[in-house]
Amino acid sequence: MTRVPTPIAMPKLGMTMREGTVVAWPVPVGAPVAKGQLVLVIESEKAEVEIEAPASGVLRHVWVEPPAIVPCGTLLAAITATADEPFDPDAFRREHDRPEAPVAPAPAAAVAPLPAAGPRAAAPAITPAARTLARQLGVDPAVVPGTGPGGRVTREDVEAWVERRRSLVPVADGVALEAPATGAGDPVLLLPGFGTDVSAFARQIPALAERFRVVGVNPRGVGQSNPGPAERHDVATSAADAAALPGAPAHVIGASLGAAVALELALTLPARVRSLTLVTPFVDAGPRLLAVLDAWCRVARTGPADTLARMLLPWLFSARTLADDAARERVVRGLAAIVARIPASTLDRSAAGLRAWSGTRRDALRDVAVPTLVLGAGDDLLTPGVEAIAAAIPRAACVVVPGAGHAVCLEAPDAVNAAILRHVGGS
Amino acid sequence: MARELPMVMAINEALHLAMQADPDVIVLGEDVAGGGGRADQGIEEAWGGIMGATRGLLKAFGPTRVRDTPISEMGFLGAAVGAAATGLRPVAELMFIDFIGVALDPLLNQAAKLRYMFGGKARVPLTVRTSVGAGLRSAAQHSQSLWGITTGIPGLKTVVPSTPADAKGLLLAAIRDDDPVVFCEPKSLMFVSGELPEGDYTVPLGKANVVRAGSDVSLVGFGRTVQTALEAADALAKAGTSAEVLDLRSLQPLDEEAILATLAKTGRLIVVDEGTPRCGIASDVAALCVDRGFDLLNGPVKRVTAPHAPVPFSPVLEDAYMPTAARVLAAVHELG
Amino acid sequence: MPAPGAPLSTETLMDVYRQMRTIRAFEEKLSELVMAGKLAGFLHLYAGEEAVAVGVCAHLTDRDVVNSTHRGHGHCIAKGVDVGGMMAELFGRRTGICKGKGGSMHIADLDHGMLGANGIVGAGIPLTAGAALTAQVKQTGGVAVGFFGDGATNQGQFHEALNLAAVWRLPAVFVAENNLYGEATPMEFVTPVRDLAARAASYGMRSAIADGMDFFDVHAKAGEAIAHARRGDGPTLLECKTYRYFGHYVGDPLTYRTKEEADDWMQNRDPLQRFAERVVRDGLVEAGNLARIDRETTDRIEAAVRAAEQAPFPDPSELLTDVYVKG
Repeated sequence: MTRVPTPIAMPKLGMTMREGTVVAWPVPVGAPVAKGQLVLVIESEKAEVEIEAPASGVLRHVWVEPPAIVPCGTLLAAITATADEPFDPDAFRREHDRPEAPVAPAPAAAVAPLPAAGPRAAAPAITPAARTLARQLGVDPAVVPGTGPGGRVTREDVEAWVERRRSLVPVADGVALEAPATGAGDPVLLLPGFGTDVSAFARQIPALAERFRVVGVNPRGVGQSNPGPAERHDVATSAADAAALPGAPAHVIGASLGAAVALELALTLPARVRSLTLVTPFVDAGPRLLAVLDAWCRVARTGPADTLARMLLPWLFSARTLADDAARERVVRGLAAIVARIPASTLDRSAAGLRAWSGTRRDALRDVAVPTLVLGAGDDLLTPGVEAIAAAIPRAACVVVPGAGHAVCLEAPDAVNAAILRHVGGS
Repeated sequence: MARELPMVMAINEALHLAMQADPDVIVLGEDVAGGGGRADQGIEEAWGGIMGATRGLLKAFGPTRVRDTPISEMGFLGAAVGAAATGLRPVAELMFIDFIGVALDPLLNQAAKLRYMFGGKARVPLTVRTSVGAGLRSAAQHSQSLWGITTGIPGLKTVVPSTPADAKGLLLAAIRDDDPVVFCEPKSLMFVSGELPEGDYTVPLGKANVVRAGSDVSLVGFGRTVQTALEAADALAKAGTSAEVLDLRSLQPLDEEAILATLAKTGRLIVVDEGTPRCGIASDVAALCVDRGFDLLNGPVKRVTAPHAPVPFSPVLEDAYMPTAARVLAAVHELG
Repeated sequence: MPAPGAPLSTETLMDVYRQMRTIRAFEEKLSELVMAGKLAGFLHLYAGEEAVAVGVCAHLTDRDVVNSTHRGHGHCIAKGVDVGGMMAELFGRRTGICKGKGGSMHIADLDHGMLGANGIVGAGIPLTAGAALTAQVKQTGGVAVGFFGDGATNQGQFHEALNLAAVWRLPAVFVAENNLYGEATPMEFVTPVRDLAARAASYGMRSAIADGMDFFDVHAKAGEAIAHARRGDGPTLLECKTYRYFGHYVGDPLTYRTKEEADDWMQNRDPLQRFAERVVRDGLVEAGNLARIDRETTDRIEAAVRAAEQAPFPDPSELLTDVYVKG
């Protein structure tokens, strides 16, 4: 049996060797070789290595002549048992030539380009569980107020928001308002001022709820209340909204812009009003008030809530509060939390409505036909001169709380509550 | 009638039971008996182990099966591996897990890999008992909790009991398991008593245990930190927060389903691990929660661990080193 | 089994020659395959040291356990591990003795008492002590034999294991194959003693030195050590002076030793040649029979290569099997 021809390939002398150099064939082609005899000299990594013949026979064919650098596994030569047995170099080479493929450079990882870092989302963080729940319930997480650290929206927040949403009251076509209620008895309606929500009456609600069913009304675009289609929140529309809430005629209490709405309600739908309380009201928005509103709208659009709160602080609170460091910081924190909740678009629309209404009811005060209390604050810089309003309304009572600012409901709650209770209790 | 016994006695009982039931179980380690070779002076068993865990074994089973070794951790652990691979069921003691440094090869490259490398033909039913943890003022080289190292080695199993009852059951299960198991004995729990059932029973490897049910936050611990978590849970209950406490018991195999189940229940999870923070169990559990429980997370996964530092000696420093209920409460607060 | 010292029968002599020739042919074939790029990983060849493995293992049965080093093919073959399974293992095939999961440095077959080659220098020595411990505790009458190199005698595991084996009088034989080099470093450069056997004195252990290129010397001295252990008289450190032909690993440029030195060992002290000359000269075996064994062995190895090349690779699912017995 003729032994099969034996290949000589460029050996792989170690894991890192990729190629070698053919340096010399000490045995000429056609000459006999003995197994173990030196048949080839190669160079690898600067060292010459002697390669022994793997079999005895004849060095029949050499494919790679020196000097040549070839990859490991390249067929270099063949040894046949005899010099004249049939041998097909091409077929043999096809079968035995296995040069190592060069290592391809690692393809640049096909990485999806990162989305261009958009402006840092103004939306606060939200937990995965909350996001999942929001998605399931079809809620836009951006509108959910967060109570977690740093305002993070938690699952509980989404649940609470959905719960609040369920309690919206329809007041007009496609418009439902958030009107949280507490307590029992005759209804009291609370109408908050510009840029705030029902929480502005936080110090009044517990006191009133002992004897009344207290309903706070977040106007269009505030809290959960629908913004509605109009580009301007007209005072007359807000009054109609409040009147549309179900229930008996109510003791209506409004503060600042809320007082304008309350006044409008008393003038247009007096049957819905059992008594009227106007806290720091105006019929003409003075230049200072208008300037503060303008700044309020601008800062709300671009600045953080803390900055807005600090800007509003001296306009809404008395010098005594401003002088007390601890009280001042506490107030700033609370104020920032409230103003953060009111979207800039709502402020713009409310301001437009306020400006449109200002001055239109100057002469109508004498037509107010419900028992009225006008409640002012001694240190109020935005709506001074409430005494004149009280004087123009028939049989209106007037109480001015000394040493308090425009946000008198928050700053002097005891005095405010006492005056209100006297008014609504006595009706 | 419930007996209360310390963990060291639970371990002793398990060893007696295991050796009685199976003649192939042998015990070896430094001073597992003590006083070797001095019978003519009336000395039989000087110590029974540095904490007494192996007391009485020499008398009950004889010197062929209960062997004091030279101080040659690599040598006798390697011998234990070789014995396990050839038909015995050895329980070798690595006196302090801190000594794993001088004995890692028999565990890392031999015990853990023989079965795999030999295509499934070998079996290494070895148990390594070892003391872990701080709290006894033993300083940096005798107080470590290196279960992160053994847990990370494929082929090894690692368990950490938190009570005497679990210690007995887990050790019997470990000895009877056909794979190499590292049985970690928290030194600060060895003399803490708890209910200890009589008789022969096992606690399965790879099953965590809800030791306290709750709904607002999950506290995951093992070994000593289970007690830490329970203290925190008590304080939280007074403040109106209901905490669930999960005792992992087994680090490899890890009961991933139990971890995800408690996360699904509360949405908020804190891991309390006495080991150091890098590449450890706390990070493993946190990664699992984020990877497989992402949509369940209602807050970040907090890790309460030892600091990235050696264990200090001074009692004031060592006490600050270890996870405490106060730190767990602070983590709950951060969770939001 | 013939008593130690008794002359070996012709049949036994042919058997041990076949084993040595198998080892030589197996290792040489591997060298070819590596140079041709057909085998992956590091291979450490035993050619030249055949007399040690075969001389020792001739005294052992399946109830005795051996283990070895990264240079373990010779011990596997001498202990009766299937050559076809070994070749398939080296080709990484599913039919390999370790299902392709171990490779050259971790070939094992517990059915034949082969506790494995080992990739960690010195790590097998405590395992040997462990296997001897099992024999002692279970009173099987078996012995454990550990093979290791000169380099391993400088490892901590060597010293700890020998100390332990001595103090417990374990039925073990520790065979130090002194082939004069640890990787690329000459032994005398890193070892302060000339004869490794001298180290046994530190452990109060019996020792002996054999000419590792002479089957008969190894066989005699191994027989005494194994009988000593089997009797319960304790372990022996048996040093065999030998030489590895192919260097540390296949492809080793051998730049740390001279060609003259290597040629001297290979040409003047080759264990197969010396064995053949002696048994033929003493009329114990006919030369023709030895030549026949040579040819049969060559064919057997070639057949093993062909079978291995055609065998299937392991299924990818095998990646995760056998990490644990359960779970």
